[in-house]
Amino acid sequence: MPLDHRRLCGPEESQPPALWAAIAAEDEEDEECVGAAPRDPCALRPLFARAGLLSQAQGSAYVELGSGTKVLCAAWGPREAAEPGPGRLLCEFRRAPFAGHERGPAAPRPNGRREPAVRLGRLPAARLAVSALLLQDGGSALAAAISAAALALADAGVEMYDLAVGCALCRPPRPPPHGCCSRPSQSAAPPPAHLALLPALNQVSAVLGGGRGGPPEDWAQALRLGLDGCHRQYPVLRQSLLRATQRRDAQAEPA
Amino acid sequence: MASVVLSEAEKLYIVHGVQEDLRVDGRGCEDYRCAEVETDVVSNTSGSARVKLGETDILVGIKAEMGTPKLEKPDEGYLEFFVDCSSNSPELEGRGGEELGTDIANTLYRVFSCENSVDLKSLCINPKEHCWALYVDVLLLECGGNIFDAISIAVKAALFNTRIPKVRVLEDEEGTKEIELSDDPYDCIRLNVDEVPCIVTLSKIGYRHVVDATLQEEACSLASLLISVTSKGAITSMKKVGKGSLDPESIFEMMETGQRVGKSLHIALQKILDEEETLGTSRPKVGFLG
Repeated sequence: MPLDHRRLCGPEESQPPALWAAIAAEDEEDEECVGAAPRDPCALRPLFARAGLLSQAQGSAYVELGSGTKVLCAAWGPREAAEPGPGRLLCEFRRAPFAGHERGPAAPRPNGRREPAVRLGRLPAARLAVSALLLQDGGSALAAAISAAALALADAGVEMYDLAVGCALCRPPRPPPHGCCSRPSQSAAPPPAHLALLPALNQVSAVLGGGRGGPPEDWAQALRLGLDGCHRQYPVLRQSLLRATQRRDAQAEPA
Repeated sequence: MASVVLSEAEKLYIVHGVQEDLRVDGRGCEDYRCAEVETDVVSNTSGSARVKLGETDILVGIKAEMGTPKLEKPDEGYLEFFVDCSSNSPELEGRGGEELGTDIANTLYRVFSCENSVDLKSLCINPKEHCWALYVDVLLLECGGNIFDAISIAVKAALFNTRIPKVRVLEDEEGTKEIELSDDPYDCIRLNVDEVPCIVTLSKIGYRHVVDATLQEEACSLASLLISVTSKGAITSMKKVGKGSLDPESIFEMMETGQRVGKSLHIALQKILDEEETLGTSRPKVGFLG
């Protein structure tokens, strides 16, 4: 039976209840933080990464930070492009509608952040597509997406200079020091800075920062912290890639 | 973006020049091109400015309209940015310029996301009900390299020029509110633009970086860093653009340069704006014929 749309007379606009109870929620959260032992500002959240878990995509990866942020990423390609020219890398970053605390429209943010890492010169007139889906946003989602996309591309067997690693930084309400992918995004604005590094080459492939202003020294200090965070995540990502390859080999042998 | 095609030899010539701190047009690595700034060029707007930086030509119009405050910030007005770059080159015609337009608008949102860049509280008329929404429309008339810096200068000049009419909220006994517009057209709010940041784009060419790159220099650069700097020298946002990657050490150097250049840019801009202000109505208007 077709649905009668005229009878569904909900309000045209809806608002998350959290907005109206913002003050109470903040108090609770503070208590939670105290209970859960404050994290060292330089400490990274535990990172879980797994490559090659989607059978339909050429390469795929799943990255989880702490228990808050979950990103699934798939890579397709190289495909033949319709128009001749240099190779292109198309990136797409989508949020699941239920990813945040406020149900948001899936805002696509196309970006070419990992382009420096991919040897596009080797793939003339080809097109690579990477699509990252944010399942749950617990802060530093973009950083997790960068790492996941690099893993997925590597898993797809795309030639790259290096595996890009993402790291997010944020500044607590009180002035310095900065913390690495710390706070859950629940209370604060998005992290003021994102950083992507190609660790083996020691090259920064992406920087994106905002928020309150500060002198260059503060920013430099923050970036150093981010670089360090990227270096520490690198072995974990490499290991997950190795494991995915071993698993694939094991599967291929019996056949 | 409009692009130029350069041969390898031409690129090498530019790169070698930059290494010697002498660029093709005779500038040093930290020099801007000659900039023309004129405010109050379009009379239908609340504030407008036109900036010509070398060949780059930007027109910014700001319209103040009444809107409802955002739910998360009931006592603040807001800024909206729209960028149109369809008119300056055939490849950006129609929908071609849309991607670049949204990219620029997103950068502007990021630059102005800093809490105290504009005093948004002064744009509130009565909390939760009415506020001023400033629609900032950026028109790219001509693209000759370094559009981000030119746009941010134009936006700052236009914000300085913006005059928002004063309104009063009258409440009668039954609680119905009425908004009354002041009769005097000169009775208006001005915005404080001291904290409005300007973008400084540093393009990495060879082993050095240059500010205010021309189209030819942009073609030689693989990666650039956009830094927004306030007049006090604080860096409020940062973004890497371009295909290439950067060495961490060079990012630190670029931040230092960006701060230094940004501070002097603010001083120069403020001087011009103040000069125009003192001339008042006696200022000869150049407009688009100059």
